[in-house]
Amino acid sequence: MSINELYFILPELIIASCICLLILINSLTKQLRQYSGVLIGSAAMMACIIVSLMLSSEDSVDIFNNHFRVDNLATGLKLVTFITTLIVILGTNTDKLNADSEIILIELFAVLGVLILCSANNLLTLYLGLETLTLSMYGLVASKRSSEIATESAMKFFIQGAIASAIFLYGTSLIYGLYQTLSLTIFSNPDINNSIELQLALAFIICGIAFKFGAFPFHSWVPDSYQGSSNSVALFISTVPKIGAFALIYRLLITSFIAVSDFWTILILVLGLMSLIFGNLVAISQSNLKRLLGYSAIGHMGFVLIAISIGSLEGVQAALFYLLIYILMTSVAFMCLEVLSSKNRSIVTLSDIKDLNSSHPWIALIMLFSMFSMVGIPPFIGFYAKWIVLSELLNAGMLSVSITAIIMSVIAAFYYLRVVWYMYFEKTELPVMKKGSTLIQKSTLSIIGVMILLMGLYPSPIIDFCKSIISPFILID
Amino acid sequence: MIIEQIIWLPILTALIIVALGEKRSELSYKISLFVSLLVFGLSVYVLYLFDTTTSGFQFVLKAQWIERFNINYHLGIDGISLPLILLTTFLTPIVIYTAKTTLKNKLHQYLASFLLLEGLMVGVFSAMDAFLFYVFWEAMLIPMFLIIGVWGGKNRIYATVKFFLYTFLGSVFMLIAIIYLYLQSGSYLITDFYYLPLQINQQIVIFLAFLFAFAVKIPMWPVHTWLPDAHVEAPTGGSVILAAVLLKMGGYGLLRFSLPILPEGSMMLAPLMIALSLIAIIYIGLVAIAQTDMKKLIAYSSISHMGFVTLGCFIFFIEDNALNPETMNLAINGAMIQMISHGLISAALFLSIGVMYDRLHTREINDYGGIVTTMPKFATLMVFFALANAALPGTSGFVGELTVILATFKANGFIASLSALTLIIGAAYTLWMIKRVIFGPVKNEKINQLNDMNKIESISLGLLALSILILGVWPKPLIDLMNESINLLTLFITGT
Repeated sequence: MSINELYFILPELIIASCICLLILINSLTKQLRQYSGVLIGSAAMMACIIVSLMLSSEDSVDIFNNHFRVDNLATGLKLVTFITTLIVILGTNTDKLNADSEIILIELFAVLGVLILCSANNLLTLYLGLETLTLSMYGLVASKRSSEIATESAMKFFIQGAIASAIFLYGTSLIYGLYQTLSLTIFSNPDINNSIELQLALAFIICGIAFKFGAFPFHSWVPDSYQGSSNSVALFISTVPKIGAFALIYRLLITSFIAVSDFWTILILVLGLMSLIFGNLVAISQSNLKRLLGYSAIGHMGFVLIAISIGSLEGVQAALFYLLIYILMTSVAFMCLEVLSSKNRSIVTLSDIKDLNSSHPWIALIMLFSMFSMVGIPPFIGFYAKWIVLSELLNAGMLSVSITAIIMSVIAAFYYLRVVWYMYFEKTELPVMKKGSTLIQKSTLSIIGVMILLMGLYPSPIIDFCKSIISPFILID
Repeated sequence: MIIEQIIWLPILTALIIVALGEKRSELSYKISLFVSLLVFGLSVYVLYLFDTTTSGFQFVLKAQWIERFNINYHLGIDGISLPLILLTTFLTPIVIYTAKTTLKNKLHQYLASFLLLEGLMVGVFSAMDAFLFYVFWEAMLIPMFLIIGVWGGKNRIYATVKFFLYTFLGSVFMLIAIIYLYLQSGSYLITDFYYLPLQINQQIVIFLAFLFAFAVKIPMWPVHTWLPDAHVEAPTGGSVILAAVLLKMGGYGLLRFSLPILPEGSMMLAPLMIALSLIAIIYIGLVAIAQTDMKKLIAYSSISHMGFVTLGCFIFFIEDNALNPETMNLAINGAMIQMISHGLISAALFLSIGVMYDRLHTREINDYGGIVTTMPKFATLMVFFALANAALPGTSGFVGELTVILATFKANGFIASLSALTLIIGAAYTLWMIKRVIFGPVKNEKINQLNDMNKIESISLGLLALSILILGVWPKPLIDLMNESINLLTLFITGT
């Protein structure tokens, strides 16, 4: 290892040192506690954004004996992670509850996990990143210590997560047994034969990936953990880990085992279709907003998986595009809930947002942007996400899949519309809510809310970004 | 550039009005009225500049938008879109002008919705890029969803969700068709689609996908059921724009996409389309007779009248001497005139019902009677609109229906006589309603205390009456305006 290699892991180093700093500050002083997380966290993210912009001009390198790869995809996904985390941190309430549970500290750990996943070039590194991420997520979900639902959902999440990790690890061990190596570079060899053992191993691995995505039938932690955690935690676990999951699927399946893509694309397609159908159908009956968003996330992940299952370069680009847009829309939705909630009253069910248009017209409008964007109505950016996926599906000749996808989008429109109708059409007797949010939260929300519209008016930069970070990979006929 | 201003000026004003907030409703009202009048002025100026001697697109503006998929921000108008744009910009000021008398709560959002809608509708009629067309087409659902849902009647939520889901389901199939055409041609430009050599079975499938979107919008039997609900629950302004302009987008889609891109597919499916049109004209007309709710009656009458638009678009395919340019020209002209005329008449009727509703808060025919004794001026106009709806010669309704029926006669005498039944059925439902509402004994105590129209109402209804009359007596300018573009369209249909 040379000292030069450290330059390439500068973002990871920044995050790690900020974690240490945060632990120190929190254990030494009581006064700074409330703001230390937000301050250090957002400073770290801004520094990392700058560093990863610097790194993005570098060529791709493999460091630490090929365990760690810094390429376009890694820096691109890291950049997205930092921006998302910055939004999450700026949107977090700095009240005592959050300060005591040290949410931001654990979130930084999770970010570190995602970063490792993005760069992993070895099954062991991959697993290391995965577990760093997953363990932090358990902590995040359990962070509302006094709440019964939180404890229950954390417990459920932990048990399912542990099983999924075990299955994933079993799959990797089978692969090691087959090829006596853990290096992902070796697997991209087109001579890898499509043996039954490999298929078994990949099936196990895909179970683990599906769990991370929250795809059906490994989805049940999603609505539970959203419901159990506070709004800002839900905002975090609904966005950042999905980037990690995408990195996982990209590193493992798309670039490594592309030779056997005939096999795994079918599995991913089935998972994607089932998530799409299940998530959207179940979401219809939800009255709890966070559960609704949870099931809608399952549906959205279905779209991402379907796009990946096309197995082409354009398909993966479309999947990444959809994922980025999903992150933006979900951030806006959860951030609206976070901004509206106060210490005394948190926004939980649909009836809590009745007549929001009269009490908070601006937030209602932003929530409306987010909802119509999720439905897929232009000019909001969500439409372009759906359109690109449909476009690539049709280009690949998957007509029946695309028809299923659009019919599910129409069904999904119903429950998103329900959110809008509660905000705009219902009248309420309840007194006007007092917001407990800060100016920073509100302005962050306004910026990302307006982004949904602005990006929709001019989506080219994001499309080009996705195109630039997914580099061509070898395709086998 | 001027088309762009007509699109974006109202949209930007809508944003400003939303930002101004509820407290400054009065100011918002003035701003939006001024802007909508300005936009109408601009579109009249476009009419003045418009060259009726060429058939191609004019006022073309092209800018790169999404490079990777070869999508352009590409606007332009021809003789088919200009009348519809004028209709839109003419009706929006009227709707905004009358909003103040009918509406009390959240006036600023109401005005903003209509301005937004105006910009988007003009966008639909002037988009030359299919993708841009779809963006405008779908974006329009949002303001309409809010207009019905926020300011509608008792059952508004059911109506607006039904409206949204129906139209959304229809248009996603159109999206698939558009993407498919893009994959074939490598461009989203609508006129590039015209030159695609498509197989007959491809054409039929794409035709059906487009038809699904357009049939829901027009609406054609059997996918019309959202319309009566939406109309009944929508506030007056919503009903006006819905009937007058939104329905026309379906007909416009047929003329812009289905006929020129898929002439053979259209020919194959013409019998189906004609059958559906006849069902709309006759069966829905009979349904209208049975209605007890005035708005519902006018809604069904709209479906019935839109039947003539679809009839005009397809009747020339079944002529013995198929694709005779003369019949084709006549039929499409008839369909276009019918669209414009129905836009004016239905707007006028919904506004009239709004005038009565504001006073008595009921739409039931049975609650009315003898309006003429207390509101003579209003009664005069209402009877005029009703007669126009029943296609009285001298009104625009007559010109549209007669032209289509004439073209139908050239193609098939039997179908023509069936479609001519509308002259009886239409007269039956409209005049029977008039008899019960305007004339007859005074049934309701409150009717004796009614005031006649105020200034706002007389001006708006008067303007509509005037335009219906002008178009009915002297339709030539409209025909001249459309002539060259329709000629070009017939060339594409015949494939020469």
